[in-house]
Amino acid sequence: MEILSYLDITFFLLASIGTLIGIIFGAIPGMTATMAVAVCLPLTYALGLEHGLALLLGLYVGGISGGMVPAVLLNIPGTPSSITTTFDGYPMAQKGLGEMALRVCVVSSLVGGLISAMVLFFFAPLLAEFSIKFSYVEKFLIILLALTVIASMSSNMLIGIFSGVIGIWLSLIGTYSLSDGGNGKTRLMFDALEPYLVDGFSLLPVLIGIFGISTILLEAEKGVKSGLSGAKLDMGKGGGFSLGLFKGRLTNLTRSSFIGTFVGMLPGVGGSAASVLAYTQEKNLSRDSSEMGKGAPQGLIASESANNALTGGALIPLLSLGIPGDSTTAVLIGAFTLQGIQVGPLFIPENQDTWTVMMIALVFANVVMFFLMFYAIKYIARVVLVPKYILYPIIVMMCVVGAYAINYGIMFDVWTLLIFGIFGYLIEKIGLEVAPLIIGFILGSSAEVYFVKSLESFGTYSIFFTKSPIAVVLWLLIAASIGFSIVLGLKSRARQKMELSQVTGSTQQGDRHDG
Amino acid sequence: METSPLSVSIDFDSSHLFFPTIIHWALALLFALVVVFRLVPFLAAVKRGEKTLPIIGECMDGVRFFGTLVLIVGYFALMSVVGNLFPYTGYGFLFVSIVFLFLMSMMYMHTRTRRKVITAAINAVVAPSLAWLIFAKLFYITLP
Repeated sequence: MEILSYLDITFFLLASIGTLIGIIFGAIPGMTATMAVAVCLPLTYALGLEHGLALLLGLYVGGISGGMVPAVLLNIPGTPSSITTTFDGYPMAQKGLGEMALRVCVVSSLVGGLISAMVLFFFAPLLAEFSIKFSYVEKFLIILLALTVIASMSSNMLIGIFSGVIGIWLSLIGTYSLSDGGNGKTRLMFDALEPYLVDGFSLLPVLIGIFGISTILLEAEKGVKSGLSGAKLDMGKGGGFSLGLFKGRLTNLTRSSFIGTFVGMLPGVGGSAASVLAYTQEKNLSRDSSEMGKGAPQGLIASESANNALTGGALIPLLSLGIPGDSTTAVLIGAFTLQGIQVGPLFIPENQDTWTVMMIALVFANVVMFFLMFYAIKYIARVVLVPKYILYPIIVMMCVVGAYAINYGIMFDVWTLLIFGIFGYLIEKIGLEVAPLIIGFILGSSAEVYFVKSLESFGTYSIFFTKSPIAVVLWLLIAASIGFSIVLGLKSRARQKMELSQVTGSTQQGDRHDG
Repeated sequence: METSPLSVSIDFDSSHLFFPTIIHWALALLFALVVVFRLVPFLAAVKRGEKTLPIIGECMDGVRFFGTLVLIVGYFALMSVVGNLFPYTGYGFLFVSIVFLFLMSMMYMHTRTRRKVITAAINAVVAPSLAWLIFAKLFYITLP
C-alpha cells in the first residue's frame, strides 16, 4: 500500500487548511474559488504533488461553498455560483432563520459534493479509457468541440468564439516547439521581445494576472467600497435545523446534484449556470414551488447542491481529456504542469496512486467543509467584514510571489502579471468573455500540434471528416452545440422583443423585468 | 493526391506559420462579424444615448484606479532594483512589499482614523514578513 505513505498528517492538515482558506475566499464577495487557487499556488511549489493537490482541492471545494455565507446573510452572492442562494437564503435570514438557512446549504453542499465525487470516480476512468485510442485527428476535434461548447454557453456565441480564438492566438506566441515536432522557429512577436517570449507567456502568470490583478483593478475603478464593514450580520437564533427539512426533498437534492455535475463537465461553463438551471428545474418540477423566492429551503437545496456538485463534474474532462471544465480547473492544470504531470487520457492509468489520493482529498475536503461550516459558521461568517484595504494589497503581494517563483525567479513573469491584469480588465470592460479566452489559451498550442500533425501525415483536410466514426460523432456534437446556441439566442431575442413591446405598450409594467 | 481540392502539403520550414495563418484569418473573419453584429448596433445605441462607452463613458474612481496602476508598476520595478542590491536574499521583495502594502491600504481607505492606519501599518509589516519567512526561509522559494 504505497498510497498510505502519502496520507500522512500533513496531507489531511493541508486539505483542511485549504478548505478553510477557500471558504474565506468564497465568503468574501468579489473573491472567488479561482482566485483562491491562483493566489495560493505558490504554497504548492515546495510541496509534493499529492500534498499540493490536497491543498488545492480543499481550496476549490471551500471556495465554491463559501459563497453561501454572504448570499444568505447579506443578499450578496460571495461567488457567482451562489446567486440563486440569495433568492431564498436572504428572506430566511430576514425572518431570523439565518443559521438554519446556512445549515440547509451546508448539508446540500455536502451531498452535492459527494455525489459529484462519486460520478467523477466512476466516469473519469471510463472516459479516459475511451479517449486513449484517440489519434491527433480526434484530439483536435475534441478541442474544437470544447471551444464550441464554451462559446455556445457564453451569453453571446459570436463573442464567445471570438474570445476563444483570441486565447488560441495568444497561446501561439513564441516558438513552435521542437519537442512537439515543430521546427523551432518563433512567430507572432517582435525581435526585441524574443529573449522574453521564446517560450511564449507562462501559463500561471497569465492566469494569476487575469484572475487576481484584474479583479483588483476592477474594484479599484469602483472606488474599493468599504460598505460591508458597517453591515450587521444577523444569524438569527440558533437551532431550528433538523434533517427533517430534507424530508420529501431527496429528488430535488439528487436531481440538482446531477445537474451540477453535468454542467460542471461542460468546459468553460461557470457555476452560475449550474445553480440557475437546478433552481429553475426545481421551480418547474416540484409539486409546490409557491414559496420559492420567499424563503423556502427547497430553493437553497437546489442551488447549493448544484453549485458544489460542479467540483467533481469539472474535474472529469480535466482528468480524462486534459480539458478544464471551468476557470478554477484551468488554474489546476497549471498546478499539474508545475509538478511535471501532463493531464490527459493517460493520467489516470499511469498515475493510479495520484488518482486515488485525489479522490480521497476531494471527499475529505467536502467532509471538512461540512464540519467547518456546520459548527463554526458563526465565526467564519465574520471574515465577510474584513476590510478590503487590508485584503487587496495582500492579494497583489501573493500574486507576485506566485508569478516570480514559478520559473525560479524571472522578473518578466511578474510583468506578465501586470500585462494580463490590464488585459483582463479590458476584456471585462469591452464585454469579451474570460472563460473561453482562458481555455483557448490553455488548449491552443495542443490544438496547433494536433491539427498540423494530422495534416502532415494525411495530407488532406478531409481526414477530419473521414478518419473514424468517432470523428463523425464529434462533428455532430459540434453542430448540435452550435445549433442549440442559435436556437437559444433566437428565443431570448424573441423574448426581449416581446418584453420591449410590453414595456412600450404599458408603462406600468416597466419595472417587471428587474424583479 | 493533387486532384482533391482538400489536399494540402505543409512545408516543414514554414510549418510554424501554418496554424497561425489560419487563426489570423479566423480572427479577421470573426472581428468583421463582431463589428457588423455587435459593434455597429452598440455604437448606434451610444449615439442614441441608450448606452455608454466602456471605460471612457463610465464614471470611475480615477484616483484609485490609476493610483493602483502606478503603485503596482512602482512595486514591480523597485522590487527588482532593491532585490539586485541584496541578491538571493529576497530582501527586495520584503522591503518594497512593506512600503507597497502600506501605501495601497492608505489609498483604499475612505476615512482615515488612527485605528485604521495603525491596523494597516501592522498588516503592512506582518504580512510580507510572514510571506518572506514562509517562502524564502521555510520553502527556499526564490524571491526578488
